[in-house]
Amino acid sequence: MTDSSLLVNSEALLGMMRKRRVVRQFTDEPVTIGDLQKMVEAGRWATSGGMRYPHRFLVVRDPKRISLVRAASPGMIWEPPALIILMIETQQAKEDSMNVEHWNVHSIDIGTAAMSMTTMAQSLGLGSCPVTSFSKAAVSAMLELPSHLSPEFILILGHPLPFKRVVNPNAPKPITVRDLTYWERAGQHDPEPGK
Amino acid sequence: MSEAEHGKKLVLSEEQALEIITFLVSSAEICLHEPIYYGTFRLVDAASRMMGLMLENNPEASGEFFQAYKAAIDANKTSMMWDREAYYDFLRRIPAAAASELKRVRELGDSEGGVS
Repeated sequence: MTDSSLLVNSEALLGMMRKRRVVRQFTDEPVTIGDLQKMVEAGRWATSGGMRYPHRFLVVRDPKRISLVRAASPGMIWEPPALIILMIETQQAKEDSMNVEHWNVHSIDIGTAAMSMTTMAQSLGLGSCPVTSFSKAAVSAMLELPSHLSPEFILILGHPLPFKRVVNPNAPKPITVRDLTYWERAGQHDPEPGK
Repeated sequence: MSEAEHGKKLVLSEEQALEIITFLVSSAEICLHEPIYYGTFRLVDAASRMMGLMLENNPEASGEFFQAYKAAIDANKTSMMWDREAYYDFLRRIPAAAASELKRVRELGDSEGGVS
């Protein structure tokens, strides 16, 4: 029997997910420590293969450090008021006999944590954007990361800068859930009626 | 100081130059695995970032040009994500304006006997 305390309104949740957009530009309003704590907690409760939790989260709010990270992160177009760097603890991964070069479970763990954080950011009225276009070596040097912490993903966040979204007539056709989904067999986009 | 002399003024500090260098070499590294056309975006974004830093130092010969050119790049560069053809057209259009401004500033220097 389902524990009713686990239930949330599925339509409300889906509606929230439909409205989420990547936000790259933010106001100067700082992101509070309380909000950031909720975000990292959301990351902590994300799934992790084998409950290994090979990741670590580095929260950065200092504008000088953010500016340094941005210099080595071409994917960070504008400077955010806060960011969270999701890293792999390579020593722990090694002790767990994870071959991080050939077994990408750690990347999935980074992704699930990042998605949980993104959803939490949205619920807090914050905008966020994933950044993967950065030099790991340069970011590590900027932040003086120890060699056992490998930066894999940067989530930039802040209060969204209002802007008017313009629909470009030449934009690619929006992806639908049907485009992405097969039922029972690859290539079959619809469920068989009555089954 | 004449406009031609202003064109010879240094408008990037060592720290600012290092910021651009870090951006360029980081871009070079990630170009190894990103889609090829992202490299074009990194280059025009680097030009925009460099102009942003230069504008902090009041470049007097081409200040207005940098301001307008940076605004044009910033307004068009992200079309790479949703209108590739428009973005490519934009890339084909923008070099001429920079070349014309360089020519203008060089000719100012030449007409005043060359300022070194």
